[in-house]
Amino acid sequence: MKYRGKILFFAGMLTALGAGWAGLPYALYRSRPQPVDFSHKVHADKAGSKCDDCHGFRADGSFTGIPTLDKCAGCHAAAMGTTAAEKNFIDHYITPQREPQWAAYARQPENVYFSHVTHVNRGKLKCESCHADHGSADRLRPFEQDRLTGYSRDIWRGKKMTDCVACHEQQGLEHSCLDCHK
Amino acid sequence: MTPTRRNVLLFAGGAAAGTALSPAPWRLITDAALWSENWPGVPAPPRGEIRTRFTNCSLCRAGCAVRARSVGDQPVQLAGVTAHPQSRGALCPFGIAAHHLPFHPVRLREGSVDAARVAISGRVGVLDLRPGRTASWTYRRAMAAMNGIYIAHEPPVAYDLHKARTVLSLGVPLLEGWGTPGNVWAARPNFHLIQAEPMQSRTAALADEWLRIEPGTEEEVVARLASRLEAEGPALVLGHAGSSEETVFAHSEAPVPAAWQNAAALVTRLEQVEDGSLDTLLIDESATDTYLPWYTIAPKLKPNAVVVTFTASRGGYARHARFALPVAVFPEAAEDIPTAIDSPEATFRISTPLAAPPPGMVDPAGFVADLAGLPKSDTLRERADAIHQSGRGTVFTPADGKSLELKSFTADAFWKALTDSATWIDEPGRRKRLPYLSEPTPRPSNVLFSPATPALLSPLMTKLYQESNLQLAPNRVAVNPADAPAGTRGLLQTELGKCAVEITTDPAVPPGAILVGSAPGILDICGPAARAKVVAL
Repeated sequence: MKYRGKILFFAGMLTALGAGWAGLPYALYRSRPQPVDFSHKVHADKAGSKCDDCHGFRADGSFTGIPTLDKCAGCHAAAMGTTAAEKNFIDHYITPQREPQWAAYARQPENVYFSHVTHVNRGKLKCESCHADHGSADRLRPFEQDRLTGYSRDIWRGKKMTDCVACHEQQGLEHSCLDCHK
Repeated sequence: MTPTRRNVLLFAGGAAAGTALSPAPWRLITDAALWSENWPGVPAPPRGEIRTRFTNCSLCRAGCAVRARSVGDQPVQLAGVTAHPQSRGALCPFGIAAHHLPFHPVRLREGSVDAARVAISGRVGVLDLRPGRTASWTYRRAMAAMNGIYIAHEPPVAYDLHKARTVLSLGVPLLEGWGTPGNVWAARPNFHLIQAEPMQSRTAALADEWLRIEPGTEEEVVARLASRLEAEGPALVLGHAGSSEETVFAHSEAPVPAAWQNAAALVTRLEQVEDGSLDTLLIDESATDTYLPWYTIAPKLKPNAVVVTFTASRGGYARHARFALPVAVFPEAAEDIPTAIDSPEATFRISTPLAAPPPGMVDPAGFVADLAGLPKSDTLRERADAIHQSGRGTVFTPADGKSLELKSFTADAFWKALTDSATWIDEPGRRKRLPYLSEPTPRPSNVLFSPATPALLSPLMTKLYQESNLQLAPNRVAVNPADAPAGTRGLLQTELGKCAVEITTDPAVPPGAILVGSAPGILDICGPAARAKVVAL
């Protein structure tokens, strides 16, 4: 056959491309749901909550991250609706005083340092700049855990180190490796 | 299609090209790197509650207030306390990295405590390298009980930089860790700095004027500038007499219980100790402000005298001691910090531990108190009560950044505040005029000394010491490029001995001179009159 060599070469190439682009995510990432079916949208729309009501700063400027059960219990001491998600949350977490084991999308390797207070208070960056519409999403997307590293696949919709660098360059801000990698 | 070798290779070639164009290899390379970070044995701080704690840095007498970010019980970041009236939010590089010290690879972790206790006999002396602490009073009381000698070099003066309009510094590293960094830099805009020394040190580079002088001509410089200092005063002269009355005071110490004062041995300077008079010398290296070269100590000892040093490493007096007993390091040790050289008011603050010391660490004051049979007591609390009884001064609490009159505290509340790292500062009216100050004029020498550094430095300060050479490492010497021998390793030789050093070049060092690091091995052979030379190995 005249094109046999080219066909074989491209067949191998297409197989590898398919495996790399489509197969790898299935093989590499383990998907699991969050422990509570939490809706940022409901909290923002119905309760009028803002991001920093739950994800605030401590007195020393450190970021509180995901709120603890105490924070939730302030409003959810009793059920605030009749949904299955609310009942599950009350029965499994509020009543037995058990902290939900949230899987943090933003958890970074030990050598990565990120200061929320610098970006939010000093840089006046809006939460949406990095977290997109996470604050208005109706459902928490599944947590995709890298089987090799144990870390999240990404922070939110593909945000990666290159996005940090690009934003700093766009803003004309200096940056160096040691800014984040301490 | 037949699976011939050619066909397989063609398919494999295509697969290799496709793989390179897919994210798989690049993702796996990144993941492999991250995966290796979490291998067993790779150190990682344990996760835990993130909280802020406060302490006071005990690496030097400045005692800067420290705000520590901790994960669980492990401090992971140290910073200054902005509202502190003296340290003003500043920390030196050593202080910022001090939470690394407990993990230092050369840290001393064991010693023969019982054997040392048995070996101690005869006339005992205690060499205190940071006098003015509560531990220092324990030593003094113990030496009085044992008929021993308490040896210390108490700082005679305290300076008020804020009152000075002209500062003449005779080789004193004013801007390189001389006093409390935050206090020095807060006062800096208000005075004209004249730095007089042979080399252009960093202080000289940052001064308003640098006078290049020959070693041994300090007295002439002061005399030459006397009229100018008087006209542009109040003046402060560092390293020599000649300061205005408004800028220099007698060193003050926080009140101590009267019972301690009545039962304390006198303070004896090392040169006042009779040669060959000590059977045992106990050296407290757990907190040091100075290093006394061994050649000044050795003559005071009898032949076969027992030397016991309380130390965190083997680099100091442990080289000469029969027993080196391990001690806690900052931020593990609970101890008070004496008044800083740039604080005319007496202060009292406790370095509250941020981490637990490893087992087997020795409390030097407790060890000496046991030897003397002093009753066990909480000496820091007794000192705090004595200060409280004085009823004067203010108390700064770092958690809320407020200063309140001491009178508004009960004794228990004052103690609680101190253990939460508050600072007591005496009232300004208690300043004592200095009757007379004399500083010995250094003799001519080609040896220049770099600013002293703590005995243990964070091993991660490689940018300062190894890569950028911003600060002369303790085991290094710097020479003018014209004098540089071949190679980077050599021998520093003086009439007192020789030691191996690393050689670096610095055009700021005058030709013929040698700038030496502050390692004890180097200081032991560089006396004030020494002439030194460096030869390549």
